[in-house]
Amino acid sequence: MKIKDLSLEELFTSGHTACPGCGGAIVARIAMKVFGKNTCAYFPANCLLVFGGTYPYNAFKVPYLHVLFENSAVCAAGISRALKKLGRDAKTVAFAGDGGTADIGMQSLSGAAERNEDIIYICYDNEAYMNTGIQRSGSTPFGAWTTTTPVGKKIAGKEVFKKDVPRIMMAHDVPYVATASIGYPNDFLNKLEKARDMKGFRYLHVFAPCPTGWRYDPAKTVEIGKLAVECGMWTLYECENGVFRITKKPKLSPVTDYIKLQGRFRHMTEEQVDTLQGWVTEKWEKISGETKG
Amino acid sequence: MYEVRFHGRGGQGARMAAEALADAAFLEGNYAMAFPFFGAERRGAPVVAFTRVDKQKIRIRTQIYEPDYVVVLDDKLVDLINITEGLKKGGMAIINSAKKPEDIDLGKKVSTATIDATGISLDVLGVPITNSAILGAFAKATGLLDIDSIKKGIVDMFSMRMDKKLAEKNARAAAIAYDKTIVGTCKAQRTFEKRKMWLPTYKEMPLGLATPPMKTEAGLVGPGSFIENKTGSWRTFKPILDHEKCIMCLFCWFYCPEGCIERVGNTTLKINYDYCKGCGICANECPKNAIEMVRE
Repeated sequence: MKIKDLSLEELFTSGHTACPGCGGAIVARIAMKVFGKNTCAYFPANCLLVFGGTYPYNAFKVPYLHVLFENSAVCAAGISRALKKLGRDAKTVAFAGDGGTADIGMQSLSGAAERNEDIIYICYDNEAYMNTGIQRSGSTPFGAWTTTTPVGKKIAGKEVFKKDVPRIMMAHDVPYVATASIGYPNDFLNKLEKARDMKGFRYLHVFAPCPTGWRYDPAKTVEIGKLAVECGMWTLYECENGVFRITKKPKLSPVTDYIKLQGRFRHMTEEQVDTLQGWVTEKWEKISGETKG
Repeated sequence: MYEVRFHGRGGQGARMAAEALADAAFLEGNYAMAFPFFGAERRGAPVVAFTRVDKQKIRIRTQIYEPDYVVVLDDKLVDLINITEGLKKGGMAIINSAKKPEDIDLGKKVSTATIDATGISLDVLGVPITNSAILGAFAKATGLLDIDSIKKGIVDMFSMRMDKKLAEKNARAAAIAYDKTIVGTCKAQRTFEKRKMWLPTYKEMPLGLATPPMKTEAGLVGPGSFIENKTGSWRTFKPILDHEKCIMCLFCWFYCPEGCIERVGNTTLKINYDYCKGCGICANECPKNAIEMVRE
């Protein structure tokens, strides 16, 4: 699918209250364009729930439900089964943030994946709990400042590495797992389309920069989405019925290109940057080794 | 006791201003408290913060509904919300505006002070963050506090969150604003309608609590109802599209988080300024530099 083939209908309407330059809003808008009208949407607590719809107002033009933080996947699974029983042809999509996926929603997500429920699960990853005011999540990268990993004398940003949720999902042997970034539109659209047309449990992990929490100029949202892939901080791949494929080979430019734009990494010492670079190199070696073997 | 309500936009520092004012009042031997309104506000959305000052211990813990003073950090808010709502008799409005008090219409005749805080902040700090300058104007217009305590309060509060040098720059902005404040009376030509809420009884609620799109006295509710929420007033910079340079690559249309770039047929794009928040992604991503961001 190309950009020009996208539907003109806005199923995620203008007038939502996201911060200017929100990456999550781009994910929701484009995903709804691809999935179309016959979709039900499920949200655990996340930014998208708040800016996309505080009762009784809503930006989604499809049936939607706000569910608890820990059970978005299982609620979506229940509705998907109900729709099947009723004989309706509709897709069920759960939109969760990285906190609702990597930390709080993990158990229900894992359960739904194990049962191979017929749902699409989209995690839009802004690498912290942005809705409640930038607290660290399992998905926060090494060295990043958040309000719960402050920069002080004893620690300077997060001390451990980012949790690799897509790989955990791949370990569940589900039909489709993919990572995407809003910086690569065609790749993102292809993956959304594939997820739409398949059956069974489909997991999409989309990289969605957040200008408020990452401390950068809102105009650079897409640029940062591109840089993250170029330097290897985020890898674009998909795993379709067990076949693993890298969809975009990174240039592997130094991570400093990526981190210098963001205020959350401003404090980082050379040593910390080296640690992060080491993590990126190691991760990439592991991934590229897998595709060869 | 006096109570102050600050009107600003998320990210403009209304909360910091409220805290700095409380600190300044405390330094003069008063009891003081400052707190923001906690809601689902995002950066750019209208927000409020409060300061309460008294000679005695303060036992009240509620929000401020009838303030003695209102402080407005962004003059575009004057057109959107009734900022004098609940303002006590003999109260005062302090507004960030380049206009004279007589040219401002608040819908109610109240004594008004104006200050071009945006201009001062751009000169002194280089950014349009007006929370420090407006406090200088507050000290001048109300005469409640000494400008030195305000400066001290700003340095105290700001240096907790940023470096000391910047905090001192902010204090200087307040001092400049103190000298430039104009006090007068505003005019009262327009009327504000009270914002209605949709509060259905259980009998009026649709079955299963599911809300279909419907028209109510509070406007559209249910799926897609945010279309009535015009977010265009949030922006400081406005994208201007040069149609001659445009090659219809549609990147701006794809990337716009607001969905406010419209495709007119297959040949033209149109920007809907009702919703544009001025993030600048379109201008940044345009391969032909056909979009330029200009100040409103």
